[in-house]
Amino acid sequence: MEFCLFLGCNTPAVRPDVERAIRATMEELGVDLIDTDNYVCCPAFGSFPSTDEESWLATSGWNLSLAEEKQRDILVQCGSCYSSLRMGREHLMHDKKMQKRINELLEPTGRSVQGGSKIRHVTEVLYREITPAKIAEKVTHSLEGLHGIVQYPCHTLFPSEVVGFEDSPREPKGMRELVEALGATVDSYSLERQCCGGAGGFMKSTPEQAIQFAKNKFDAILEETKADFIAVSCITCLMHMENVQNTINKQIGEEKYKIPVFDYNQLLALCMGKDPKEVSAITNMPRDAIHDHIAKVAA
Amino acid sequence: MDLQTEAVKDLWKDVDRLGDLLHCFNCSTCLSGCPASYGDPPLLVRNLARKVLYGLEEELFEEDTPWACVSCSKCEEMCPMDVKPFELILHIRQWQSTNDETRVPPSITEIYRRGYTQAVATNDELRAELGLKPLPTINKNEEQLKLFQEMLMKTPVVAANDYMFG
Repeated sequence: MEFCLFLGCNTPAVRPDVERAIRATMEELGVDLIDTDNYVCCPAFGSFPSTDEESWLATSGWNLSLAEEKQRDILVQCGSCYSSLRMGREHLMHDKKMQKRINELLEPTGRSVQGGSKIRHVTEVLYREITPAKIAEKVTHSLEGLHGIVQYPCHTLFPSEVVGFEDSPREPKGMRELVEALGATVDSYSLERQCCGGAGGFMKSTPEQAIQFAKNKFDAILEETKADFIAVSCITCLMHMENVQNTINKQIGEEKYKIPVFDYNQLLALCMGKDPKEVSAITNMPRDAIHDHIAKVAA
Repeated sequence: MDLQTEAVKDLWKDVDRLGDLLHCFNCSTCLSGCPASYGDPPLLVRNLARKVLYGLEEELFEEDTPWACVSCSKCEEMCPMDVKPFELILHIRQWQSTNDETRVPPSITEIYRRGYTQAVATNDELRAELGLKPLPTINKNEEQLKLFQEMLMKTPVVAANDYMFG
């Protein structure tokens, strides 16, 4: 299995340890990742998709053409990149007139977009292609004894008609089964499927309410689960769910919210015995307890 | 733009040329589970749909709430009439930024200048510590970046606001 890896901006710029974890784990699971040379912004929904269709789809088309040249599908972790690229491709495929116009724009760059490459989320490939059973076989450092909760990336659930790799978007199972494959107990809670609220302009335009929105979720986690960690698979969920806990702690003047948040591939990498200094090095929320637990169980 | 005080009957054609919006029967299902509907002021997609359909151009022009959307697309999942509320939000933003240059997001000038909204590939030292090679990004390839910029220069938002992209 071979994919063009589309890293977006936050992962390589701010959290390259997540990139390291993705590369290290996927390779060991038999998934080869090719760099998408000269890729550009997906584009983020707050940029060209908010100005006009041509600049949006020309930018999508540029990215899609890079994978089409290599005749590979695109592998993405970031929820926003996944959704933007997928929607861009869909618009181009359903609107032949627009596709023609975008190809006119791409032509002087030596590129074209035909739709040959699909957009795949890393959890889809792990869940559907690799499968939790095979992942469990690769675990040398189990999460046994730990409780976790999962945060589903919204962009991989909705709209299910076109995303659709879960049997039901209302009862998604992929992330849960993937975390269970690592030996952890996954707890359920009432606000499990509430969005993290970190993407787009919600936090910027109305921070007080956005923080309260997140606080409701974290209160439910504390009250209803024994979560030692949160597993996500979207760079925005990862960064926001860490940052917002620190923000709330500052507001209330105590360290009440301090659940470490991991990208799934980081947990997977740790469970495959990879060095935390490479695959789980950058964080705003101490992870030592989890790193130590994994080392202790393995010993 | 010339703002009119009375309703603009064909406003929906300017905002949402596909006409998906015409199927909206105002049921509010789009609000269930919408994070930004908890904002102040709240993002109420249903109300935005009404403003477009009733032709309330001035009110729509002043609306900041479409920019609070988190893009989760749950509204697309919930809508029983396939109105595609998230696409409506993008269409309203497009309509606003086409008619009001102060709405043009500064992030597009970053993408034009260096390919990304973030400073990607300026952390090679940190990457090396983590065992990562430098990334083959477009900001390291002048020829490709120039081709990308020349392509964007022909698109409506960049052509109409070229002074932003010097």
